[in-house]
This record gives sequence, structure tokens and C-alpha cells, in this order.
Amino acid sequence: MLSFNPPIKEEKNYNDLKIVEIEPTIKINLRSNKREFSTKIGKILSILPPNEANTSSGNESYSLLWLSPDEWLIYSNNINDTLDNQIELENNLFNEISKLNQGAVTNVSDHWVMINLKGTKIFDLLSKSCPFNFKDFKKKKGSVVQTVLNHVDVIMHNKDQNELNLFVRRSFSEDLWLWINDSARFL
Amino acid sequence: MFIITCPYCGDRDQTEFSCGGEAHIERPKQPTELSDDEWAEYLFMRKNIKGVQFERWNHSHGCRKWFNIIRDTSNDKIHAVYKMGEKPPVI
Ligand SMILES: [Zn+2]
Repeated sequence: MLSFNPPIKEEKNYNDLKIVEIEPTIKINLRSNKREFSTKIGKILSILPPNEANTSSGNESYSLLWLSPDEWLIYSNNINDTLDNQIELENNLFNEISKLNQGAVTNVSDHWVMINLKGTKIFDLLSKSCPFNFKDFKKKKGSVVQTVLNHVDVIMHNKDQNELNLFVRRSFSEDLWLWINDSARFL
Repeated sequence: MFIITCPYCGDRDQTEFSCGGEAHIERPKQPTELSDDEWAEYLFMRKNIKGVQFERWNHSHGCRKWFNIIRDTSNDKIHAVYKMGEKPPVI
């Protein structure tokens, strides 16, 4: 487990909805518009960065989210990753990409807070204060969206049916957490 | 409120975007040769017409990319969306 303090320390259960902050996991932001970038990422992570908008790719260890035509976010699916795992992955990426001028690698592990939402009422909750149309999003496993939730910038990753990972900037996480819990009471 | 089709992300609510003003304003090639009035004209003066206008927009709460929009300011009807560097379509 990584060694910084989670801003949210509780798990909440509501009618058909469970909300919890996932312990700090490895998150790395990638930017590149170079051609060899994809193959390099494929070599290191054994997954290719998705080219199609609003989608993701992944395997057992990592998820790779599309953020823009030249930006992606890696996050680890393993909450037991240690600080050494993080340093190893970051160094691998840095040496293959940043050092060779193939793009930028930024460690954002403590920049984003990941909140996991489970249950049949997820989209009822989000739709209370989000302008995004979830109609196609919820049908497609692995879809990704960057939008605003209660005026806070978020990234959402549709993990599975009725399961979603929500990324929010750390300084906004407490505020959004309070909003989520407040809204969940009225579902 | 209206829907904007981001050329990268697709249909999104207007609140996710910010408007960057009139598009296709070219920086003068020789700024030193301009008078103060001409420089002010380039720097500050925008058309702001009622009707069809060419604008730059940024998907600030999404992919953070810039692009161009042809929008009718009287009814917010969007006639075309095209990427930065592309020639404006004829409408
Ligand atoms: Zn976009």
C-alpha cells in the first residue's frame, strides 16, 4: 500500500449504493503525440493506450483511460501495490518515454482521489448534478468520461455493470464526498 | 444552455466549455511597424455580431482541447465545428 493519508476514511452504505475511497493506488498521467509511444506503452504495461475517444483498455494489473487525443491516465487495479512498485513503474515509463523525448510521464497518485461507487442507483445519484448524458456510457463497460459533478471536475470510469470509479482532485474530494453522501440520502 | 459537439469527445453540455472569443484573428507579422491604434485594433476589437459568428472554444472540463465553432449568436444554433488549423467550412 502506498504511504500517504487518504482524505476520506469511511465507507458508506445506502439503499442500493455503496461508496468507498479506494486506498491510494498508483496513478500516472501520460501525454504524447509521438508514433512510437503506443508500442512503448504496450511493451511496459502489456496494454495499448486506447485511441477511441471515451474508452479505456486494461488487464488485471492496470487500467488505461483515454483523456484526450494525446493524454491518458494509468491506474493500478491492485490496492496492495507498494511504494517500490510505484517507483519501478514510474522509472520504467520515465526512462522509455520522457528521457527519449517521446512524451511526458507525471506521477499523479496523490493528485487524484479514487472513489468507488457500487449499486443500482449510481446513475440516479450522479444525474442529480451532472450535465453528462449517461445513456450510452452505462451500457458500455470500460467507458470513460471527463465532466463536472456538482461543479467539480471529475473523471469517471465505468468498471462494470453497477460499478464505477470516480476520480476527483484531492483538494475537492472532501467537498464532493459530502455532496455525494448528502444526495445519496434522498435516492 | 445548449449542446456542443466537441470534435474529440462528442456531444457535451455547454457548461463544460469556455468560449475563447472570435476565431481567425491573425497576429500582425510586423508588430513594431504598427501604430498604437492599429495594435489596439488587433488586440482588443472584436466583431461581436448578431448572427453567424466564427468562434474559438475550449473543452475546459473535458479533453481541454481548443477548436472552432460557427455559431449564430441570435439563437445559439451551431452551424459547424472544426478543429484548430482546419479551414472553416463554407456554410
Ligand atoms: Zn472534448
